[in-house]
Amino acid sequence: MEEVLRSLALFRPETALTIGLLLVVVADSIGGTWRNAAVRVLSLASLVAALGFAAQLQAAGAEGSLFSGMIVVDPLGTFFKIILILASLLVVAVFSFRNSRELHGLGQGEFHALILGLTLSNLLLAAANDLVMLYLSLEMVSITSYVMVAYLKGDRMSNEASLKYLLFGAASTGAMVYGLSLLYGLTGTTSLPQVRDVLSTGIPGDQLGLFVATLLIVAGFGFKIAAVPFHFWCPDVYQGAATPVTALLSVAPKAAGFGIVLRFFYGTYALPVTGAWDLSGIMSWQGLLILLSVLTMTLGNIAALTQNDMKRLLAYSSIAHAGYILMGVVALSDAGARSLLIYLLAYLFMNLGAFLVVTLVHLHDGTFDLRDYPGLYRRAPLLTLAMGFFMLSLVGIPPLVGFLGKLYVFGAVINMGPGYYWYATVGALNAAIAGFYYLRVLKVMIIDEGNEDKPPLELAFADRAWLVLFAAANLLPLLVWSRIDEWAKGALTLYAGR
Amino acid sequence: MTTGLEHYLLVSGALLSLGILGLLTRRNAVNVLMSIELILNSANINLVAFSRYGAGNVNGQVFAVFVIVVAAAEVAVALAIVLTMYRLRRTPNLDDADILKG
Repeated sequence: MEEVLRSLALFRPETALTIGLLLVVVADSIGGTWRNAAVRVLSLASLVAALGFAAQLQAAGAEGSLFSGMIVVDPLGTFFKIILILASLLVVAVFSFRNSRELHGLGQGEFHALILGLTLSNLLLAAANDLVMLYLSLEMVSITSYVMVAYLKGDRMSNEASLKYLLFGAASTGAMVYGLSLLYGLTGTTSLPQVRDVLSTGIPGDQLGLFVATLLIVAGFGFKIAAVPFHFWCPDVYQGAATPVTALLSVAPKAAGFGIVLRFFYGTYALPVTGAWDLSGIMSWQGLLILLSVLTMTLGNIAALTQNDMKRLLAYSSIAHAGYILMGVVALSDAGARSLLIYLLAYLFMNLGAFLVVTLVHLHDGTFDLRDYPGLYRRAPLLTLAMGFFMLSLVGIPPLVGFLGKLYVFGAVINMGPGYYWYATVGALNAAIAGFYYLRVLKVMIIDEGNEDKPPLELAFADRAWLVLFAAANLLPLLVWSRIDEWAKGALTLYAGR
Repeated sequence: MTTGLEHYLLVSGALLSLGILGLLTRRNAVNVLMSIELILNSANINLVAFSRYGAGNVNGQVFAVFVIVVAAAEVAVALAIVLTMYRLRRTPNLDDADILKG
């Protein structure tokens, strides 16, 4: 009883979301003309409350294991929680039913309930400390995402996207749970810290078994973060889903996936005695993750070069970014983990901004095709200017936050020594390739001729304000950078399990 | 001959292989879902067998119960999506789901 009470005190962000989720369902089923407004206010309120509680935990530097060690609270997990809640909060606040043409006329109650459910499961995934909890929260993220992708019921694209998502997801989590069962068999425990304790006394039985188990578990993680070769669902799902859903999926589950990857490799497999990567001095996982990361960024960038659908282009771009973020995992040092946190924070603002522009163009012109984008500079100068910020930030042009993310990631890799310079070079070359398709979007919007007969876009005031805010979020953090840097650094120092 | 851990692992390995085979060869969405169930159940056999013969704790059996519950939830969502697909296209064949590509 005492432990449950103690756990609940550290479980406030999740509790706030759960209460919000239940209230949203109740409010929606009571009905009435006010219900859409009520649902929206309730979701925003519970997300703000959760964000406040998470910030409180972060400020207090809270640490501890909850509910018999099922999940842990530590500054690293809390940092991820803040990113995840912020992503959902921004999506609910910015991408409302008002400015999404696809969602128009569909039920708002279920949508907000699903967003809150997805947020809740993301938080649990980022804090999972047990193989059972890891599997449960990963599946909860997946199943809510499947339903959200299928939200446009009569739409064939949305239906096909969710079907593909579900089959890929079920297959890779199936492989993962087989890997988890092998890991349980090898170590005799489901708790991640205990797995580490067992592994630190030497690998029981055959190394091959552990290798197979880890490979299968990586398949499940790879699916969540859309790393090559588990990325095939990504472009189709991003294209088929409603844009607000795409925007959320491109940030939140990915961030939660990186959270659990970091916890799994950093907290469970890396041993303080024998050095970061050599598991008991015998096995090194680094090669595998380097291969994954190089393949992910290269394939993502090359495939993005020829895309004309904006949502597909951003999908391949998000695959490439997963490759860069994986570099932070590969480094597996404090610098690496910090670069991962900072990159995710930067990625949140630049990617959501880009999706906001895509949504607004679809609201007014009804198109996702880049070939319909010419003339936007004349028709919507503010929109084009904001898109300039987001695209340049995604390329990594200083002084935008995207540049700082890349700087930290490449810096962490270079710090590992001359043997890894080639790896940083591959990353830099990829950033150059990526520059081509991001700048192509800007070129089409600003220089290309066309659409002379179309009237200017009449953006609503709220949309203008959000565009300006997102653009500012890509530039202004630079002014307080030392504080953000300190914050990310502080999120590592107390990381439990090291 | 007594039944030991290795026999259970053999059965589970066979189930996993059958599941992956079905996943790769079947074209009907419902058959693919059944193959995924085979994969999950092979993991369940592993978990229960390891719990009984290896670890000496019930964590594995609890894990298996959770896997069964989640699999049921997943199939509920999956069948809803397949039903919608059938309503929209009059076919459960995955090869016909091909409007998203490029």
